[in-house]
Amino acid sequence: MRRTILMVLALLALGGAPLAAAQVMRGPPPGLLPPPVTIDMLQSDLVAKTGSDTVYFAGNGHGINAAGQATLSAQARWLLANPAVRARIEGHADDRTPRDYALAVGERRADAVRDFLVLQGVPAAQLTIISWGKERPAVGGSSEMALALNRRARTVLMP
Amino acid sequence: MAVLLAALGLPAMAAAQDKPPAVIAVPQLATPENVSTPAGDTGLIARYVADVIASDLRSTRELVPIGPENSRVYSYPESTAPSFSLWRKTGAKTLVTGFVQSRPDGRMTVACYLHDLAAGREIARKGFVVAPAEWRRAAHRCSDAVYERLAGRPGWFDTRIAYVAESGGGAGRVKRIAVMDSDGTAHRYVTAGDSTVLTPRLAPGGETIAYVSFAGGQPHIRLADAEGGQDRPLLPGTAMSFAPSFSADGKRILFSMAMDGNTDVYVADADGGALQRLTSTPGVDTAPSFSPDGSRIVFESDRSGSQQLYVMNADGSEPRRISFGGSAYASPKWSPDGEWVAFTRIAGGTLGIGVMSPAGTGERVVTTGAHDERPSWSAGGRDLLFQRSEGGRTGLYAVSVDGGAPRRIVTPQDGSDPDWSTPGS
Repeated sequence: MRRTILMVLALLALGGAPLAAAQVMRGPPPGLLPPPVTIDMLQSDLVAKTGSDTVYFAGNGHGINAAGQATLSAQARWLLANPAVRARIEGHADDRTPRDYALAVGERRADAVRDFLVLQGVPAAQLTIISWGKERPAVGGSSEMALALNRRARTVLMP
Repeated sequence: MAVLLAALGLPAMAAAQDKPPAVIAVPQLATPENVSTPAGDTGLIARYVADVIASDLRSTRELVPIGPENSRVYSYPESTAPSFSLWRKTGAKTLVTGFVQSRPDGRMTVACYLHDLAAGREIARKGFVVAPAEWRRAAHRCSDAVYERLAGRPGWFDTRIAYVAESGGGAGRVKRIAVMDSDGTAHRYVTAGDSTVLTPRLAPGGETIAYVSFAGGQPHIRLADAEGGQDRPLLPGTAMSFAPSFSADGKRILFSMAMDGNTDVYVADADGGALQRLTSTPGVDTAPSFSPDGSRIVFESDRSGSQQLYVMNADGSEPRRISFGGSAYASPKWSPDGEWVAFTRIAGGTLGIGVMSPAGTGERVVTTGAHDERPSWSAGGRDLLFQRSEGGRTGLYAVSVDGGAPRRIVTPQDGSDPDWSTPGS
């Protein structure tokens, strides 16, 4: 688990709106530093403010449904408000997808999410994508519910 | 493990038109002088070598070995001049003799001779100078020589199996590339387990392994020396590359690259040079596999909507769909004899193994597990290795392409993505 301290990012994120550079540089007096903000705290903030960091897909598809579009629109606003925070879109496929194809499907899903965010105004340079194929299931087992929860793309903030 | 793996090549339910197998005598090899080596006394190694040769030949359709158990023990001079009349009484048609001799330089000579008992003459011989610990390899190459002379086709006993060894659960799942000799011995790990790795493919002879690694984040193809040491990316840069597969001569690698939501098939020299794109349709084109003569490529594409199998020329021209069975099809692999394509068939929420001709005819179901995937041909071309997932575990299995019950291949940990090398030159 990465615990990189991101003081400046923390102020940007928790302040709700970007602060002027001068305020950031002035900082609190010595000995009264705020608790260090980790990338995990930023990720929690993203989830709290946008509802979810994950969108789900049907079958082998990469189409983003209405719920996914609402989530991603909110994520786009968060990323626009925090332009110094980079995000990696991680695409996944379910366990019933053959291994090579799963890598391709994961990439296609991550790419679809990136395209959506870029169309909402997020700078492409702020985003990277990778595919995990079926290597990182969110839920174990092979029930229909597990499969559905694993067909996903997650927006992961990067230090 | 060796014993269980030897079962891999059990004679299949031989087709009716096949000739009955011929009996071959495989007595213990001789040694001119019993000398101690780091791998054991030469007299003991002489017995081990015969055990391995007999085990190898037992896995073929054409030969039934007798011995070395309960077989006559002969003297060193008899290895080149056996008593033909005595050996004829065993009912065998042919006889393998040989010797193991320690050398002053610390290595040893393993020699084997094949005799035609009816004609009373030697018909093949092979000798190897090896480190004592390499005796097993010499034995496999003796088996190769015997098989090639008697069956008229190259043997495949000096080959390797690569797979992904899996341990730990959930997010802590560790995957390592592992490789072993095709008789299950000499098992070793090629990667350390610090990065997720997938889909190893062995170059002919099994010295080099192409595989997919998530080291650095983006999945990409790497090439590793099976003995450890060398390990480098196939391509420069940070593109996402996966699904590697060697040509039969080992000089080229087929694979996929994904970019901007589109996955295509590419080919490059085994050193990463001469990169060429072979498909350009929107959608996913992946899991490419060369025909044994290198003239054609079978691959998986969802250009029609669902995953189907296509065959194209090696330059990417004239792609033609070959699968029309109403299911989805994945991970095709061309057989070493060129006659068949094995694949994963996805139907009714289950994954099973099947075969069809490269023209798309003669489709046959080989397994009907809940989750069997990724078939790879045995080097002899008679068995399919595949991965079966069951109750949260995943393991390697082999099944005769003629049908029958799949056999578990015992590995030290869970296993996936098996691949069997073809013989080297």
